[in-house]
Amino acid sequence: MMRMVALRLALTLPILLGVSMVAFALMRALPGDFAQASAGTTTISVEALDQIRRNLGLDRPIWAQYLAWLGNALQGDLGLSFATRRPVLGELVPRFLVTAELTLIAGLMALTLGTCTGLASARLRGRVDWIVRGWNSLLLAVPNFVVATLIVLLAGLYFPTIGIFTYVPFAEDPVANVVSLLLPALSLALTVSVTISENTRAAVLEVSSQDYVMVARAKGLTASAVLRDYLVRNALTPVITVTGLQMAALLGGSILIETIFTIPGMGQYLFESVTTRDYPAIQGIVLVAASVVLLVNVAVDIAYARVDARVSYD
Amino acid sequence: MSPLLEVRDLTAQFARDGVPATVVKGISFDIAPGESVGFVGESGCGKSVTARAIMRLAPEGSSVAWGGRIGFRGQDLLTLSEREMRDIRGRRIAMVFQDPMASLNPVMSVGAQIDDILRRHTGLSRKAARQRTIELLGLVGIRDPAIRADDFPHQFSGGMRQRVLIAIAVSCQPDLLIADEPTTALDVTVQAQILRLLNRLRRELGMALMLITHDFGVIAGMVERVNVMHGGEIVEAGPIDQLFAAPTHPYTRALLAAVPRLDGARPGG
Repeated sequence: MMRMVALRLALTLPILLGVSMVAFALMRALPGDFAQASAGTTTISVEALDQIRRNLGLDRPIWAQYLAWLGNALQGDLGLSFATRRPVLGELVPRFLVTAELTLIAGLMALTLGTCTGLASARLRGRVDWIVRGWNSLLLAVPNFVVATLIVLLAGLYFPTIGIFTYVPFAEDPVANVVSLLLPALSLALTVSVTISENTRAAVLEVSSQDYVMVARAKGLTASAVLRDYLVRNALTPVITVTGLQMAALLGGSILIETIFTIPGMGQYLFESVTTRDYPAIQGIVLVAASVVLLVNVAVDIAYARVDARVSYD
Repeated sequence: MSPLLEVRDLTAQFARDGVPATVVKGISFDIAPGESVGFVGESGCGKSVTARAIMRLAPEGSSVAWGGRIGFRGQDLLTLSEREMRDIRGRRIAMVFQDPMASLNPVMSVGAQIDDILRRHTGLSRKAARQRTIELLGLVGIRDPAIRADDFPHQFSGGMRQRVLIAIAVSCQPDLLIADEPTTALDVTVQAQILRLLNRLRRELGMALMLITHDFGVIAGMVERVNVMHGGEIVEAGPIDQLFAAPTHPYTRALLAAVPRLDGARPGG
């Protein structure tokens, strides 16, 4: 088991290398660069633009820029932000913590909502099944930024007393901080809960028709014992998988949600950095986000082996 | 002796796409305490549905309407509440199913799957239940039961899994054990071992046995009486010797003729 974890962690390194390369190349492929973006619409001489580029090292070949970045990154130095001239790492860490909190709350919401609706749908069937599946189809069809806009709109209309755009830092007031993240987390969670709900429903239906569930009922076990030890425990594996995969969806969704709700997290930071072509900041964010997704995948593999004894990594 | 199980005019009706289909058409039979009775017939003849009726277990996601009367220890099982029925299942009437490969929960150790029925019906402590589980695994012929109790189903062969399922079924010393095609999914040498085990346990624990099969070869030497089922009805019933010697119903004769014989001769030929 320990060997498996070590191996999986080692395997994330080449993946991170590839991700950083692709991100680097993609950003350079975008039209415009930091020099032009910072100049905005004002007319600026070509010489002045070249001067900015030379100062930032943007005049060197792409591969040389990448190798320089990689060399520093391997030593834990993610470089200076073009926009603020401060270390990217220092800018990134507090923003990452905000996003991590938002994603965690949204993840818990999505997991609770998804498993409960999926389970109810599969066990009760009939009208409940129809309602849940209709609700899921609706949420699946509507992108999360539309859901977020609707939530902002409805909350603003009917509950004008609650602040929607008033993010409170955790250090200032932990309770108010969590409360201020509830609506954004809900906007993120609703879409993700659909995938979890549909997969829970399918898994529970699949397990329900298994012979061992009939055997459990033939043992005279109570309905709750059959549900807990036979249905849920067996339906858990696919649900763990999709929940892990949805981690990436949550991180991606946070870009839009944090921008809409003005939350100073990593998503908003990425949005700003892409707009200003702040290459070092973008590289840093991509690296952190990719690491999180990879770590969650390793955690999912470990969870598998804990839930199902048939899974062996030796 | 008054019968342990007294089935009268039992009917079972499934609704398929809104059209009701009667699978069991008013059958009656008795099983005395400690007696072993065979139910023989081809697949789809209603013998498994009859067993499910006694357990009041409808297949998941389908609805069955039972009719008639199933007398058991002075009560009619068809009128009991689901809660009362749960106290009977596993405790008074237990069942062994056809496919041992699919009948054990893959994410629970086999010991835990015996512990849970014991704790449900006997009120044993966790520790005492595990002690009894190990005894039961030994009783059904599993070596090193104390160690194997912590193993998971995928670490057992088909025959061993059926032994575990038999241990589960007999764990609370039921009055009636229903075995629904218990050897069909197993290979021939293992079949004989499982049948011998069932026979031995029946005698040691004084259980009645309802053995359901499509194969006359399986019930020979296992049961005292046989009910032959065809098309949802019992077409012939009687002591097994009599049935083998002089089958009266043409369907019984056809079933007997389907059993391969060592000398290559055909019955009646």
